Amino acid sequence: MNAVEVRGLSRSFDGRDILRDVSFTVGHGEIFGYLGPNGAGKTTTVRILLGLLAPGAGEARVLGRDLAVDDDARARVGVLFENNGLSDRMSAAGNLAYYAGLYGVEDPAERIDELLTLVDLADRRNDLVGTFSTGMKRKLGIARAILHRPEVVFLDEPSSGLDPGAQRMVRDLISELSRREEMTVFLNSHHLDEVQRICSSVAILAGGRIRAFDSVAHLTAASGRPVVTVALADPGESARAREEIARLPFVAGCEMNGEGLLCTLSDPGATPDLIAALVGANFRVEEVRRSSRSLEDIYLEHVAPAEGGA
Amino acid sequence: MSTFSVIARREMRLAFRNRSVLITGFIFAIWFPVVSAFGIAAGAGEETVVLAGSIAAIILPIGVFMGYVFCADAFLREKRDGTIETLLCTPVSLRGLWEGKAAGVAVPAYLMTLISAAVTAATVSALTDAPVIAEPLLLFHLAAVVPVWVAASAGLIGAAQLALGMRENQILGFVFIFGFIFLIIALQEVAPGGPGLSVMTEAVLAAAGIALVALARFIAGKVTRERVVLTIP
Repeated sequence: MNAVEVRGLSRSFDGRDILRDVSFTVGHGEIFGYLGPNGAGKTTTVRILLGLLAPGAGEARVLGRDLAVDDDARARVGVLFENNGLSDRMSAAGNLAYYAGLYGVEDPAERIDELLTLVDLADRRNDLVGTFSTGMKRKLGIARAILHRPEVVFLDEPSSGLDPGAQRMVRDLISELSRREEMTVFLNSHHLDEVQRICSSVAILAGGRIRAFDSVAHLTAASGRPVVTVALADPGESARAREEIARLPFVAGCEMNGEGLLCTLSDPGATPDLIAALVGANFRVEEVRRSSRSLEDIYLEHVAPAEGGA
Repeated sequence: MSTFSVIARREMRLAFRNRSVLITGFIFAIWFPVVSAFGIAAGAGEETVVLAGSIAAIILPIGVFMGYVFCADAFLREKRDGTIETLLCTPVSLRGLWEGKAAGVAVPAYLMTLISAAVTAATVSALTDAPVIAEPLLLFHLAAVVPVWVAASAGLIGAAQLALGMRENQILGFVFIFGFIFLIIALQEVAPGGPGLSVMTEAVLAAAGIALVALARFIAGKVTRERVVLTIP
């Protein structure tokens, strides 16, 4: 059984189709990235999974249960929306104690101490949340979402509003939770770099349909023509080397960028031939690196056509 | 501790920390009854039961209004800022959330109403030398009828605030208040004891209050998570 299962999910509002036959699964302990432009239907999917909205067609299950009708199953799931679910007029510890009461957390004082330390807010535990910065509220929101040790946690843009240091802390925390507590993480994010770093699989939603669903490794590797970056010991020779490379039969294209020469090969196995050709032409090669496409490339590749005429 | 207690205690704590709601409540709880007390003292003569009846007639709408004032903070604010969506994902049922919140709102609203009643009774007593606060039916009114109506007000308005959008809530808040006041007056008129304090009138008001609480609970049970989420601004 998967941690999250979505099959043939559709939903419309006021005659407008928001989701159309959406299907994907998320395995236990996986960090899953759910990507898509604003208005693609990501929030609707998550709301249906959490039992907040009813599906128009199809089904959505978390831990094999329908959260709309299963109060006990909701106790095994954590959630962080854009709003952190905190009261500004209560202290950090008070907010966590409230949710600990709702979830029936055992020994809440110890758990609250542990989490406040984890998100670096132990010294602000008695301060009103209204006095916190956006980033501090976000970190406390994450602590709240995992307070009851959920098996699956839904995080909506967890690092929004955070400085780079705090973003890294959140990334590390998510990876740690997945690894140490085998927590399944469902990540809604526009930070493609963040998703590429920590997610094991992703689904790209655009125009209400799933445009891609695969492991990050497979998506970024399955790029068609391989791209190789060549750095010369003397960058001044790059223009001449480019002319040389462009004549090679196994090269589909060659461009210069800040890192060196970006060569697209028509033959995936031609990297050694490229190096041999450059050395043979007396160029001193400093570095040759096989480049894979970034998740951003893949995202834009799938989203742009869908945005144009989904 | 049950989730009902957890929610109710939190709402009470937040209500007592909300300075703007407390100031609004205090102004209305003291200013309006004190002004009314002069009218009561001047118009009602010095018959204690008549004076007590006039106080009872003023205090009940004040209780309803207090329920409305405290509801806005507990239900509407959490809907406006989206916190309610997170709460709907907890293992607590929507009706459970409503019950805890309505109870947590009703307690401070009732306490504020009692302050109002004490101020009114003290003012009327000072002006007329009549021991109105010792009137048994007024004590029954304050101890049994008023809390039930405060709970009905908090429950019905809270359920409506969960189910309706922001604009509808702005309009319906006042509709509810005037609806309650109209209902109180109508019940007093049709009750066998007539307006003023009588056993029958108090019994009718208490029964009607309990029916309204039951109606509020029924309505809250019909509100769906989807309805709440789709009316979040």
